[in-house]
Amino acid sequence: MGAFLYGIYLQWKLDIRSKTLLITCYIVPLLFFAIMGGIFTSVMPEARYTLIQSMTVFGVTMGALIGLPPSLVEIYSSDIKKVYKANGVPLYLGLVLTNISAYIHLFIMSIILYIAAPIAFNAEIPENPALYFASLAIFIAVSLSIASIIGLVVKDQAKTSMVSIIIFLPSIMLSGIMFPIELLPKAFEAIGKIFPATWGYKVMTDSVFQLENLLPLVVILILAICVCGILLRKVDK
Amino acid sequence: MNEAIKVSGLKKSYGAHVVLNGLDFCVRQGEIFALLGVNGVGKTTSLECIEGLRKYDSGNITIHGRIGIQLQSASLPEHIKPLEAAKLFAKWNKNPLDKAMLEALGIYNLAKKQYYQLSTGQKRRLHLALALTRNPDILFLDEPTAGLDVEGRLSLHKQIRQLKAMGKTIILTSHDMAEVENLCDRIAILSEGKIVFIGTVGQLGETVGRHYNIIIQTENSTKKYESDNIGETLLSLLTQYKENGESIVDIQINRGTLEQHFMKITKGE
Repeated sequence: MGAFLYGIYLQWKLDIRSKTLLITCYIVPLLFFAIMGGIFTSVMPEARYTLIQSMTVFGVTMGALIGLPPSLVEIYSSDIKKVYKANGVPLYLGLVLTNISAYIHLFIMSIILYIAAPIAFNAEIPENPALYFASLAIFIAVSLSIASIIGLVVKDQAKTSMVSIIIFLPSIMLSGIMFPIELLPKAFEAIGKIFPATWGYKVMTDSVFQLENLLPLVVILILAICVCGILLRKVDK
Repeated sequence: MNEAIKVSGLKKSYGAHVVLNGLDFCVRQGEIFALLGVNGVGKTTSLECIEGLRKYDSGNITIHGRIGIQLQSASLPEHIKPLEAAKLFAKWNKNPLDKAMLEALGIYNLAKKQYYQLSTGQKRRLHLALALTRNPDILFLDEPTAGLDVEGRLSLHKQIRQLKAMGKTIILTSHDMAEVENLCDRIAILSEGKIVFIGTVGQLGETVGRHYNIIIQTENSTKKYESDNIGETLLSLLTQYKENGESIVDIQINRGTLEQHFMKITKGE
């Protein structure tokens, strides 16, 4: 356990040293919040009721999809994986540690938004904070699991960014955080349901537990974990 | 001397391309053993099969002891610091951090640098240190001095000798014949998927025949000759010089180098 905890601590430090995760998990989401929070609440005053959730969905999706895959590509598409294997470090460790570290960073960023939004833009705190944080916890895990698939499938840093953006943009545009989902054309609304961000936003804005909103996230998470397991075995070969 | 590694009938192909075609050799405990061969002959494949990093088609590999591996091409996350990596690997292998070893390899001097800031030589030393965090009995070094400057090479040679003095068995690959001649107790030469020679450097010379380099200096020129029959060649050269009326100032005769023996056995030169 000591080695595992040290691994998490070390990965956490590496993520801070590597500016990529710092930018994608903190700077961009918080900057987006500072600008868009002001615009949203002045254009649509009722946006303050869902500002925490919308900004958090943006931040988590950004941090996970853009921030995590490069770290995984660095480990699994280079000689690092051979060094791990040669020195008795299991291959799954890289995936687990980067995920746990990114999870912590994204949770911290979400807490910052939770605290800052009411102060800065008079945003409404979720009616049921316990349910909100439970939903947030699941949403972060789902987003990271999708990001992990990208990081394990794509072997090249430049391609990783491209694939991440291809998934990130529709996630944000079709999730309902920018415009109410009901205003979107039906086809876009249907496409939006493929992305975890849509369900994450729904589940985080629910004031009472609704299984039908949580279920898609749980299914995506289970599937993504299975796919990551298969990909990791492939990498090992 | 006891065996540290025994390889018998090792076969490995990549598709239709046969790389190892029944490799047989053993490495003795406490020796420095080199696996030699031209590029692409399968040295790294052989090592990786023995290390357990690569699956092989058939054959048997027996290893007596814990192993440590320094790979030919190795990398670490670019922002990790050397001591952090050593600590992680030591913890993961449930071994205490060997501070004396890290000190000897100069890892403490690199404490503030991140991996991407290290020079090639510093990276090599770090990867050697990481291999040693497992406290191995057998150490695999795949081209340990490739890309190093003279100082880096000499320093690494010193460390390899120290490891041997500590009783560790070392198996290495190298393209530097002087290094091999200087460091290794025994060598094996790999050619066309098989071991074509195994023994000491001296025994290699005996196997391929006595080979000599002759350098004759006259007042006007210096010429080099090679010969497998020193008596006849020398007599004929001296006669030739005398007939030409050239006055010889100096003659040097050297035994053939490992490099020449190696070329002879692998390429028939």
